[in-house]
Amino acid sequence: MVVSATTDGGQRKIRRNGSFGYVVPALLLIAFFFIIPVLMLLMRSVLEPTPGLQNYRELLGSTTYLRVFMNTFTVAGLVTVVAVVIGFPVAWLLAIMPDKWSRLVMAIIILSMWTNLLARTYAWMVLLQRTGVVNKMLINLGIIDKPLALVNNLVGVTIGMTYIMLPFVILPLIGILKSIDPAVLRAAALCGANKRQCFTRVLLPLSLPGIASGALMVFVMSLGYYVTPALLGGTSNMMLAELVAQFVQSLVNWGMGGAAALVLLVVTLVLYAVQLKFLNPNRAR
Amino acid sequence: MLLDFEKLGILRPFLIGLTALVCLFLILPIVFIAALSFGSSQWLIFPPPSWTFKWYQMLFADPRWLYSALTSLKIAAIVTVLSVVIGFLAALGLNRGSFFGREALRALFLTPMILPVVVLAVALYALFLQLGLAGTTVGFIIAHLLIALPFSIISIGNALEGFDKSIEDAAILCGASPWEARIRVTVPAVSHGIFAAAIFSFLASWDEVVLAIFMASPTLQTLPVKIWATLRQDLTPVIAAASTILIAFTILLMVLAALFRKGRKA
Repeated sequence: MVVSATTDGGQRKIRRNGSFGYVVPALLLIAFFFIIPVLMLLMRSVLEPTPGLQNYRELLGSTTYLRVFMNTFTVAGLVTVVAVVIGFPVAWLLAIMPDKWSRLVMAIIILSMWTNLLARTYAWMVLLQRTGVVNKMLINLGIIDKPLALVNNLVGVTIGMTYIMLPFVILPLIGILKSIDPAVLRAAALCGANKRQCFTRVLLPLSLPGIASGALMVFVMSLGYYVTPALLGGTSNMMLAELVAQFVQSLVNWGMGGAAALVLLVVTLVLYAVQLKFLNPNRAR
Repeated sequence: MLLDFEKLGILRPFLIGLTALVCLFLILPIVFIAALSFGSSQWLIFPPPSWTFKWYQMLFADPRWLYSALTSLKIAAIVTVLSVVIGFLAALGLNRGSFFGREALRALFLTPMILPVVVLAVALYALFLQLGLAGTTVGFIIAHLLIALPFSIISIGNALEGFDKSIEDAAILCGASPWEARIRVTVPAVSHGIFAAAIFSFLASWDEVVLAIFMASPTLQTLPVKIWATLRQDLTPVIAAASTILIAFTILLMVLAALFRKGRKA
């Protein structure tokens, strides 16, 4: 109490600082170069070429664009399912295996994650081409006679995207699985549950919030991907992000570009809100 | 039982086998690219008929590759500095402030990270065309700063979370000015967060493709734009050489980060 009498000035100095002023630079940056341009783009979607909703009518009403939406949701869905089915067992093992080994696996996962996106996509373009290693190996093993078309179609996109998304499933799941108390499973076993029941009735339900949250994140990220689908999918199998880019870059149609961007934006934000509200594993616990 | 590595039973070989396969799946493309960059086959046949350095020679003989790498480096360096400074201030404000709408603001600052980049790229491109910033270094820096900033705010915010503010107050009570206290007490205490913020910000800019495609001009290209433009023409092994250098760079950064973490524990 003696201190407070003598350091009144100090106290005031402390209180005066540490508030709103610090976030102003970041706020200005976000406002001028994020909020305003995105809003302006969305405005153009209802103003160009003439005011009205015709861009949206065209986008949602034509079979050409419907195929783009189908491609986008199919690939994102497939990538999510494959990544979760493969990623869950890996995360499971990583959560319980001895540190020495898990560190090695983690290093591999992180290396692949940190490697330049274009380098990874280029690798798959080379590996999956007609004369590439994958086709050669399958022929040598006698599984196929003729090389399969693995690039310039949605198969290539799905493989390339799964490769990119796997770490995003595995890494968060490790934490979730580690936080499950093994005693719960011992209890289930003592009560007579066999391995299968332990898995389907205890382990899986307990990790479900983590799986759902990771799956949704991967799905959302896949919906908006541009580079990998553009390079591995070829021109005839377009996804939504490519459509946005094409409207702006080659067709210089800002109205349609803005409309397609808004659709992508709305889907992303809605799914993200679902994720935050219902599936946040930190909040569910 | 299912969560005990020793008592997994028949599940154990299954899980180990699958994990080994996934590891191969994750590492093989990277190894192949590195191997093919030294292979003599123009058509990237594996295994290569013979070994050569010619793709690296071609890479270094073309000044455009070097120039685009330098452009990337310059932009990433400036973005890193700005991202750390603005991110530190923002994290400080979010951490200390008790103003209205703080949580909403935090969410807003992180949105550029979850938004499809192509939407941001197209929107910024439209704005920059009007402002005359399209195809300029400034435009590039602003675009990359937007996606680097969330990484800084998260990393430094987490570090500030674990820092006891009363230490800073003590310095002020002992006669330091608030900024002196912050720079000489708080900044060193959260240096690991700042270091992480710098690495993530650098990588966010250095590796970024989508924004860069829209911000680039024929005379201003970052390395990813140069790779992208070359890739759209053909699969030349020169890209394998460029990719291998990028991978080596990534491994170097990972080792640095690991050493830094070890140094902090010691």
